[in-house]
Amino acid sequence: MSTVRRAPREALRTRTRRRRLGSIVLNGVALIAFLYILTPLVFVTWLSFYLQSIPSYPPQGYSLRWYSQAATNQQFIDAFVLSAQLGVIATAIGLLLALPAALGLVRVRFRGRALVSNILLMPLIVPGIVLGFALYVFQVEIEIRSGLPVIGSFWGLVWGHVLLTIPWIVRLIVASLEGMDRAQEEAAMNLGANRFTTFRRITVPAILPGVVAGALFGFVSSFGNLEMSLFLVGPGRTTLPISILQYLQWRIDPTIAAVSVIQIVIVVAAMLFTDRFVKISRVV
Amino acid sequence: MDTSSQLRSGTVISASSLIGPATILVALGVIVPLLFLLRYSFNEYDPRLLMVEAFTPANYVDFFTDPYFLGAFFTTVRISVVCTLACILLGFPLAYVLARTQSRFKNLMIIAVVIPLFVGNAVRAAGWMTLLGSQGFLSVTLMDLGITSTMTEIMFSETAVVIGIIAVNLPYMVLTLQSVLESVNRNLEEAAFSLGAPPLTMFRRVLWPLSMPGIAAGTILTFILAMNAYATPVLLGGPEFRMLAPLVYGQFQMNNWPLAAAIAFVLMATTLLLTVVASLVTRQGFRN
Repeated sequence: MSTVRRAPREALRTRTRRRRLGSIVLNGVALIAFLYILTPLVFVTWLSFYLQSIPSYPPQGYSLRWYSQAATNQQFIDAFVLSAQLGVIATAIGLLLALPAALGLVRVRFRGRALVSNILLMPLIVPGIVLGFALYVFQVEIEIRSGLPVIGSFWGLVWGHVLLTIPWIVRLIVASLEGMDRAQEEAAMNLGANRFTTFRRITVPAILPGVVAGALFGFVSSFGNLEMSLFLVGPGRTTLPISILQYLQWRIDPTIAAVSVIQIVIVVAAMLFTDRFVKISRVV
Repeated sequence: MDTSSQLRSGTVISASSLIGPATILVALGVIVPLLFLLRYSFNEYDPRLLMVEAFTPANYVDFFTDPYFLGAFFTTVRISVVCTLACILLGFPLAYVLARTQSRFKNLMIIAVVIPLFVGNAVRAAGWMTLLGSQGFLSVTLMDLGITSTMTEIMFSETAVVIGIIAVNLPYMVLTLQSVLESVNRNLEEAAFSLGAPPLTMFRRVLWPLSMPGIAAGTILTFILAMNAYATPVLLGGPEFRMLAPLVYGQFQMNNWPLAAAIAFVLMATTLLLTVVASLVTRQGFRN
């Protein structure tokens, strides 16, 4: 009798032990993956506080002077200003184009809707190197045929960056439009509001979080773009990611680490700000 | 009530005026330029005259007959496969934990995974350079612990590039898988356990098949990104290291545009082809 009763209990114990082991392995690997993702950011931040100018471990002490060094380096300031200008202008143009497109995609049923939405996402799918090269070639052809100075111009660069912002803005506004309750709009119209008032008073506030999130994602993807910009910047002009790349090809030191940390801080701030409007876990 | 009926007769006009400008700009900025690039890839290169109008497959033939370019090609494919597999192995547990956690820090943890995506690959490469350099943290710590007696040089090698690309691509895999795992009903797992399945069996028979759409999407995404990696191989692989994306830019800078265009299309075509193969394989796995 007793053996019969013991057997299931033993089996249960093995099972619980196995589940516990399984969950330890699972959580262990998850932790490793999480730390792995953050490792490079931790080390570049650490380097930015080193006292000595070479990246040899252990540091001889800690200092903040590389930040003032980075903030007074004219090349980095110029690159930062250009990247910020590009990001703002490209996002503004991107919003003007993408907001109506998102409205059209969600609110109007038409043939070829899937095709259009795929076309609008293309800049995210075509590799940056290929897209940058193709766009450069196209700008060369335009300049040859029209005589307009397009190659290496600021607006040529803006054109490329607008392309980068559109997929993000469309995606995030579409997501918020799809999650919106249409009954509110119908109620407003029933109460006598015309279409414009309904749009202004009901639709805009409802999708505002999506607009803000889309704009920030668009800005950040323009601000951090490297591959496409490599082809489109003219002589004597560099964006921040390009100047970081070029510096790192030459050497690594706490100054470039400080520049990197400034970029990280901007991205973190943008993300935490966005998160107040739209939960990031829901939109990425 | 149907949306389109509200918009009555203006539907066609309003649809095209809403969607038209963005679509035209993207088409003019992506599709037309790609067609020009394709045309360039059939042109001839002359060291003196640079690009000469022609219609020849010579650049493609050159690419596939030159051991230098072929080497870069196989290195790129090999690294992409290794990195993608590593991303599945590391990404699945993290995605699962993020999807299932009840922690109030869940959103913060997800933000921590998202942030590196936007920080830029060059910045992250700088982090790896600090860690992996010959006088970096890893090398010195290994010597201090007596594990190695000489400096460990990982920088400027395929290993460094693989380490770097995995870190770049892992967040994409995690986020893709996490969104799919969120929708997998937890009760199914509990049901498998209560029927006596050990964890691995539960994973193989329940969780893995149900998360297949996410695994397929994540695999394709990380594979495309690995194939087209630029900053990571340039900075962590060093000047001698060859992958296809840096090769495109290198040939472009050397003014051989036709060859650079051909390499760009080989890169796109290979990525597309292997993506299709990967999605067929995973769909097959899904059916079984």
